[in-house]
Amino acid sequence: MGDVLRRYYRTLAAKLIIAVGLLMLVGSFVFWYAILYKQEKDLQSIAVRYSDSFIKFVKERTYSGMLTAQRPLIQQTLEDISIAESIEGVSIFNHEGATFFSSKKEDIGKLVNKETITCKGCHLEIEKPVRLMPYPQKWTIYKNDKGFRTLKVVEPIYNEPSCYTAKCHFHAPEQKILGFIEANLSLALIDKAEFRQGIALTGYVLIFFLAISASLGIVLYKIVSKPVSQLVSGMEKVAKGDFEHSVDIKTGDEIGALADAFTLMAKDIKAAKEQQEQWTHKLEAEVAKKAEEIQKTHAGMLQTEKLASLGRMAAGVAHEINNPLTGIVTFAHLMLRRVPPDSEDAEDLKVIIEQAERCAKIIRGLLTFARATPSEKAEVVINDILSRTIYMVKNQEKFHNIKFNINIDDSPRFIAVGDLSQYQQIFLNMLINAADAMNERGVVTIATRKIIINDKPFVEIEFTDTGCGIPEEDMDKLFEPFFTTKPVGKGTGLGLSVSHGIVKHYGGEVLVKSAVGKGTSFFIRLPLVESVL
Amino acid sequence: MKKILVIDDEDIIRISCERVLAPHGYQVSVAASGMAGLELLEKECFPLILLDLKMPDMDGIEVLKEIKKRCLDAKVIMVTGYSTVETAVKALKLGAFNYIEKPFAPDTLLDAVREAFNT
Repeated sequence: MGDVLRRYYRTLAAKLIIAVGLLMLVGSFVFWYAILYKQEKDLQSIAVRYSDSFIKFVKERTYSGMLTAQRPLIQQTLEDISIAESIEGVSIFNHEGATFFSSKKEDIGKLVNKETITCKGCHLEIEKPVRLMPYPQKWTIYKNDKGFRTLKVVEPIYNEPSCYTAKCHFHAPEQKILGFIEANLSLALIDKAEFRQGIALTGYVLIFFLAISASLGIVLYKIVSKPVSQLVSGMEKVAKGDFEHSVDIKTGDEIGALADAFTLMAKDIKAAKEQQEQWTHKLEAEVAKKAEEIQKTHAGMLQTEKLASLGRMAAGVAHEINNPLTGIVTFAHLMLRRVPPDSEDAEDLKVIIEQAERCAKIIRGLLTFARATPSEKAEVVINDILSRTIYMVKNQEKFHNIKFNINIDDSPRFIAVGDLSQYQQIFLNMLINAADAMNERGVVTIATRKIIINDKPFVEIEFTDTGCGIPEEDMDKLFEPFFTTKPVGKGTGLGLSVSHGIVKHYGGEVLVKSAVGKGTSFFIRLPLVESVL
Repeated sequence: MKKILVIDDEDIIRISCERVLAPHGYQVSVAASGMAGLELLEKECFPLILLDLKMPDMDGIEVLKEIKKRCLDAKVIMVTGYSTVETAVKALKLGAFNYIEKPFAPDTLLDAVREAFNT
């Protein structure tokens, strides 16, 4: 609750209302006070004027009584006069302060209170009555015991010829002042009126203040608080990433303009963000592509370097081993002639010869691999080489149970640069691998097609078998020299490696797709000679 | 007597040739290097020479050229590793009679030698 109130106090509208309200309250108060003050002054001067005429009236009514010294008449007159409303009392006293007549009979004979204006209106000091005020004060206002104000008026009765020539000879002619008339006039009615007026004015001010505050509050809520809170919630949404959100404030004023500007800004931010994201994606893709390229290049370089050093080594070793192998073969044969045919010794020697020949085969593979850098380049017709190779293998026992699904287009003639025998070797290799993968039983699909890579024409030669497939973990090692899954003695692990090396040398590539248990597809891509197309 | 000169830096090749050919009535002389072979050829021209292609001091091709200068009638059979088939072809173009690949079986050698003498 306290939080809600505190939050409410902090709102723009509340602040404005409080400021305007305070200003209005102070203004109203000053206004109210000025009116009351002026009214009070006016009423006071009216009362004083009224009291003057009242005193004159009393003087007039008691005049004849005074001259004829009819004391009971004077007393009666005073009593009669005091019946009138607002007359609290009228009395006549002499210069010494002794009351002679009074509308209140109990006051007759008493001394007046000398500390009041009754004496001090003219006399500066009671003890030294000679010192007089330069401007005598004839009236004062005091509060009576009921809490209302009373106007006290004191008027001297001056000596005049009619007084000292009257029959009573009561006053000597040198006497200047014969006595005083003092009247106490109640201002209760005025007080009451002023009080009511004060209440009414306060009420008006309060109602005015409340009305102004309320209308100000409504107006502020409509033109400031609501649009601002709309704007704030819009900003929060945008800050959270909802750039689609538009702050729709059609007030036409500054806040409306702010909302429009904000919506525009959100759109700009969205566009900028999208562009940035696009750039980021593009950059990421670019980086990934480059990284892949670098990796490929690196792997390729590594492979090439590996192959080259391996090739050199293989060539050296192979060549050296050929000589002792010749010796083994020769002497095994020489011995074989000396032992009885079909004897155990003859069989053993045959094993030696067989194994030596196997060594020779491995070495031949090694040397082929080492020679993967070809020496001669010529334009060759891929279709013809492929057809010839297929024709060649079809007659071999290994391929007797294999169905060939051949889809070679004879036109166009795919012309590539390279070494005829090397290409033949590659194709042969592919077919042997296919046969081995299918345990020499299945379907081999051979197809050629023209494809475009980076705007350059290539021939793609497909060899697909229905064999065992290549497990994922072997894919990386496929083109590594000496990597083979064939049984010992069946493969050297050089075929694919050599083929790959040759194809790469002529600017082509070898791709593999394989599914374990379903089969494998090899795609050999060779760049075509464009001029002949 | 059918005389044959074997020029090969490898002992085992020389011995093998001798052991295979001698029982078949061939008189086999041997030389362990190209230079040694050419020196022997200074004295007499052999009708058939088995020449290794790859030797340390002199290349088989160079030796073949020298032989062709000295003994026009001599037939040369190049003995080569698989890696140098192209070189063997080159040798054939330079006038070599035939070539056999290492490692060779005795029969292969005999067949090649017989063919050389029969033509």
